[in-house]
Amino acid sequence: MPNFQQLDPLLHSQLRLAVMSLLIGVDSAEFVFIREKTKSTAGNLSVQLDKLSTAGYISVSKSFKGKRPLTTCSITKLGIKAFEDYVNALKGYIE
Amino acid sequence: MSDKELTKEESLDLITNMIGQAKRNIAKGGSFYFLLWGWVVMFANLGHYILDKYDLHDQPYIVWLITFPAGIVSAIYGARQGKNTVVRSHLDRLYGLMWIAIAVAVMTLIFFTGNVETNLNAIILLFAGLGTLNSGLMLRFKPLILGGLALWVSSILAFSLPVTEQYLVGAIGIFAGYLIPGFLLKKVENA
Repeated sequence: MPNFQQLDPLLHSQLRLAVMSLLIGVDSAEFVFIREKTKSTAGNLSVQLDKLSTAGYISVSKSFKGKRPLTTCSITKLGIKAFEDYVNALKGYIE
Repeated sequence: MSDKELTKEESLDLITNMIGQAKRNIAKGGSFYFLLWGWVVMFANLGHYILDKYDLHDQPYIVWLITFPAGIVSAIYGARQGKNTVVRSHLDRLYGLMWIAIAVAVMTLIFFTGNVETNLNAIILLFAGLGTLNSGLMLRFKPLILGGLALWVSSILAFSLPVTEQYLVGAIGIFAGYLIPGFLLKKVENA
């Protein structure tokens, strides 16, 4: 009988999983890039990024590009581990 | 996109789709640097060769001073590009760090020119070839791979020639290894 692992609830949500899947493949990405690729609203994306950052899955750095604020995100080691665990758990369900 | 819960199949589809999105945005590898350094180093090599060969100047290496403004232009261009990049891939980071490492190695060589004696240019061509070949492999761009090999061939030739002639070979090597692939890369970037 296959051993079903619990899916991480933090990742098992559309927008948060999309953000993590984007960040797993890059070194860093700006807020506008993530918003464009995930086709999300700025407000909702901010909330979800906050949740991922609080969990330690991503690191968020804020700076300025000229006068405009600039938010850059990158995945952390903990985030990579969580993402891998999530994908492995998913495989368990699908196989 | 919202924060709704997903089915297992939706999760997999989403992951595959997003990883694909990030892949398509990998920045191209800067033909600007190959063209800038191609022209500057080719000109310096040719200048050094002509001044030395025809005894036009006591210090033919003076022409290499043009690499200083080129270094400043490179740094400014790099800083501007960094600001305008909304996403940076792992490969972009590696690519930049590799060239910085090569620049440090070449500057170390220049600092110890006295110890290297007459083969400085041949060794620098070897380093330039290494960077160009690796750039070609990283970007999967054949003209840069061939350019790297051309620089290695010119390095081997330079090792077996008198010091003055090494600069002529260097100029030809840089033309084949930096400028031709640089122009071809620019064409691809603008396509």
